[in-house]
Amino acid sequence: MPALTPARILRLHFCEHDRYRDRPLHEAVVDKCRDMKIAGATVYRGVEGYGQTAEIHRSGVLASHHPIVVTVVDSAENIARLLPVVEEMMDKGLIAISDVEVIRIHKSGAAHAEQNPDRT
Amino acid sequence: MLAKGPAKKVTIYVNEDTRHHTGSLYEAILTFLLHKGVSGATATQALAGFGAHQVIHTPKIEELAEHPPIRIEFVETAGKVDELLPTLYDMVTDGLIEVQDTTVVKLATKEKKSEPKHPHVRKQGQARLMRIFLGEADKWHGEPLYDAIVQRLRMMDIDGATVYRGILGYGAKGHTHKQSFWHYSKDLPIMISVVDTTEKVAAAVGVLEEMIEDGLIVISDVEIVRLIHGHDLQEAANASPHAS
Repeated sequence: MPALTPARILRLHFCEHDRYRDRPLHEAVVDKCRDMKIAGATVYRGVEGYGQTAEIHRSGVLASHHPIVVTVVDSAENIARLLPVVEEMMDKGLIAISDVEVIRIHKSGAAHAEQNPDRT
Repeated sequence: MLAKGPAKKVTIYVNEDTRHHTGSLYEAILTFLLHKGVSGATATQALAGFGAHQVIHTPKIEELAEHPPIRIEFVETAGKVDELLPTLYDMVTDGLIEVQDTTVVKLATKEKKSEPKHPHVRKQGQARLMRIFLGEADKWHGEPLYDAIVQRLRMMDIDGATVYRGILGYGAKGHTHKQSFWHYSKDLPIMISVVDTTEKVAAAVGVLEEMIEDGLIVISDVEIVRLIHGHDLQEAANASPHAS
């Protein structure tokens, strides 16, 4: 088992219909993460849920109100850099951060992935 | 609890098509008796008969074949019958309830493997949460990698694993995984989440590292509150008698 690298995980909880400058907030957040060279971001759509507003999120007839979770794993510094930016983008919702340990598996290439995860 | 000796036998006569709310009455009565913990109840469909409506229900004449009589019988202690009767009285809107004294001569029950109703047991403690990030298109010997991982984790007796499919994302490889109405993606982001003890998660990491070509494993300490079915716990206790 290789050494575990300490890192942080950031989770953003909001609603699928939340928007940022006329586009879905989750898409805007992912693009922002990419611009800021954050290692990765994944968006999940929940089946059902409720949050702060106690409004049940589930699929409506016309609009989709599913709960959305955006997960970002990166170093503590990068998460700290990202946090104020996403905080500004979100009107309402929840941000949770926890400490994690990370193993990056990248067999086909060299070991440079750990330090420089952005290959594009 | 029913025992050998004096008891009460209750017989309820209803029609098969008598309704109770949206279901049939006899099914509702059986459900009620089961819910109340009655030792046993039997509903039998009569071949023919007549009741207070003075119409013979018989299969011999087609138009009288409807509304066949149903007889529900159960034997319980006098106390239990007293408890059940008011509700049954309300439920049977069309029919007859009869109670008679009886004597239970033998009551033999084969030992059950597991009791149906055990209370939930709460277990609390420290554990490790492992999240595995990979792509849906990743393969392992020709089958989807996430499938293979879940199977392997199950083989390792890992307590549980859940596979999530993301709707959008990018990772170290840099390409965006996205699906839209016009574009169907077969490579959406996949996350598998696993919660188990530190040792078992560490063992799983060793195996997963061999299976995953390109991906990320994220581990964190979590606190778990677990609700376990009583009989599962009993099985565990039987397996290791010293376990608390």
